[in-house]
Amino acid sequence: MPELWELSVEEIATRVRGREVSASEVLESCLDRTAKVEPLVAAYLEVFEDEARDRAAEIDRRLVAGEDVGPLAGVPLALKDNLSLDGHALTCGSRILAGYVAPYTATAVERLLAAGAVPLGRANMDEFAMGSSCENSAYQLTRNPWDLGTVPGGSSGGPAAAVAAGSVPLSFGSDTGGSIRQPAAMCGVVGVKPTYGRVSRYGLVAFASSTDQIGPIARNVRDSALALQVIAGADPNDATCATEPVGDYLGTIDEGIAGLKVGILREIDPAALSGATARNWRQSLDRLTAAGAELVEVSLPSLDAAVAIYYVIATSEASANLARFDGVRYGHRSETADNLLDLYFESRSEGFGAEVKRRIMLGTFALSSGYYEAYYGRARGVLERMRRELATAFETADVVATPTTPTAAFRLGEKVDDPLAMYLSDVFTTPASLVGLPTVAVPSGLDDDGLPLSLQIMGRPFDEATVFRASRAFEREAGFAVAPAFRSTFRESEAD
Amino acid sequence: MALTTEDVRKIATLARLRFTPEEEARFAGQLAKIVDYIDQLQTYEVAEANPGSHGVLEMEDVPHDCLPRERFLANAPASLDGFLLVLEVKGGGDA
Repeated sequence: MPELWELSVEEIATRVRGREVSASEVLESCLDRTAKVEPLVAAYLEVFEDEARDRAAEIDRRLVAGEDVGPLAGVPLALKDNLSLDGHALTCGSRILAGYVAPYTATAVERLLAAGAVPLGRANMDEFAMGSSCENSAYQLTRNPWDLGTVPGGSSGGPAAAVAAGSVPLSFGSDTGGSIRQPAAMCGVVGVKPTYGRVSRYGLVAFASSTDQIGPIARNVRDSALALQVIAGADPNDATCATEPVGDYLGTIDEGIAGLKVGILREIDPAALSGATARNWRQSLDRLTAAGAELVEVSLPSLDAAVAIYYVIATSEASANLARFDGVRYGHRSETADNLLDLYFESRSEGFGAEVKRRIMLGTFALSSGYYEAYYGRARGVLERMRRELATAFETADVVATPTTPTAAFRLGEKVDDPLAMYLSDVFTTPASLVGLPTVAVPSGLDDDGLPLSLQIMGRPFDEATVFRASRAFEREAGFAVAPAFRSTFRESEAD
Repeated sequence: MALTTEDVRKIATLARLRFTPEEEARFAGQLAKIVDYIDQLQTYEVAEANPGSHGVLEMEDVPHDCLPRERFLANAPASLDGFLLVLEVKGGGDA
């Protein structure tokens, strides 16, 4: 008999709605589990223990009164620290927002609350979502539950680690260049980056507005589809949010992929992947074939340019978006400044961490007079090229598969002093971000050190349904179970 | 391209950031390496941008309530009589 914290999102919601278990019992099980694993993993910046108890009790009262509390009834979840929840601290992992309290709730979070979910805590992240290891948080290091000496990935490292560790069955992050998919891959869980415009960004702190998307992280594909179903759809508060109808993801998810054309990029050179990733990649292709898919070769000649395009466009947008942090309206204000201009300089220099400064500098450079055309203009031009190449690929393929990351989780500290090496781990995740395609990262096995690897499946814009269906078929074929070992300092006896 | 510490200082001024000499030197090295990597974009073919992809809500242009002033000001580092309080434009030292 599994513990309540081990149940899937679907099982929890079904059992809570059927009053087989109470939302409070589920929450207590997750809080107990959190108390055991959190000292090792440090996924949270804050756990809303009392408030979560009140909310779960309220759900139970409403169920007793015969009300329908929604498709996520009693499901505890973690929110990345850049998603607004009215009355709660919101820091984006940055000192510059220390003390900031969200004055309203993000649309996506409103929809989760309306669906009966129970926010359990605020999860750690790389500062302003800039990073691939969660090491850029100004507050704490989060560790990968599979091996506590490795990073959980980033920037949504806290949300991914919380789900992998069993603290919650569901979490939400944001993905700008891979920030949901890459940590999901490194933590052995499922991560979804929806189509650009699928989910409202109202209440999400902006990083790069042309690619930012909110999406779920869960232990299986069905749960992640259910979660996206709840938050997707138009929002009058976000003019960039799309009006395209939201599909019935669970309605078709188990239909299998017989005859589905899965595009494989000619440019992926297995020799350039780590040995284990290359072996796992070949095995994943065999599994897709075994599930009935037809593999077709497609081409993305600009693949190798993706990281360069991304680090021009995202940093340019970030340099503009982060101009608002100036010590005037909110956030950190320097005590040492003695005129207004000085206040901007000092507040920003004291408040931002090194990686955020690096990216603001890079973006400012790319947009500066004399360099704009050579950098920003050029990156936009190559991006359009990439968009056309992918559009052509999707004329023959229904979905396109790649490894999610070139390697499994790396060691804590390994890439901290080499920003470019850190950026290069985004090679497979950045194209879908730049072009705005829906993408799911699904666990695909373990490497020689027992660390998770992952397959990424991208689809046509707003065709999340097909991406989920392919991911679900692959998941079944791979038979991966989320069971991190908490290796290196954690004893199994302490986990139970 | 080579980025000098002088370049870094100029970009930092545009970005409203200030660095110590040690930070300037470190950033110059790191940014130069990243910019060198980005320079590969010059070897790729480009295409013209084709804006507009998905449908968006069209809304009536009618006023609606926004965040109440006191809720907004609750996060302000300093305020007075319902307004944000800032330092003088021409205060003590130069910037």
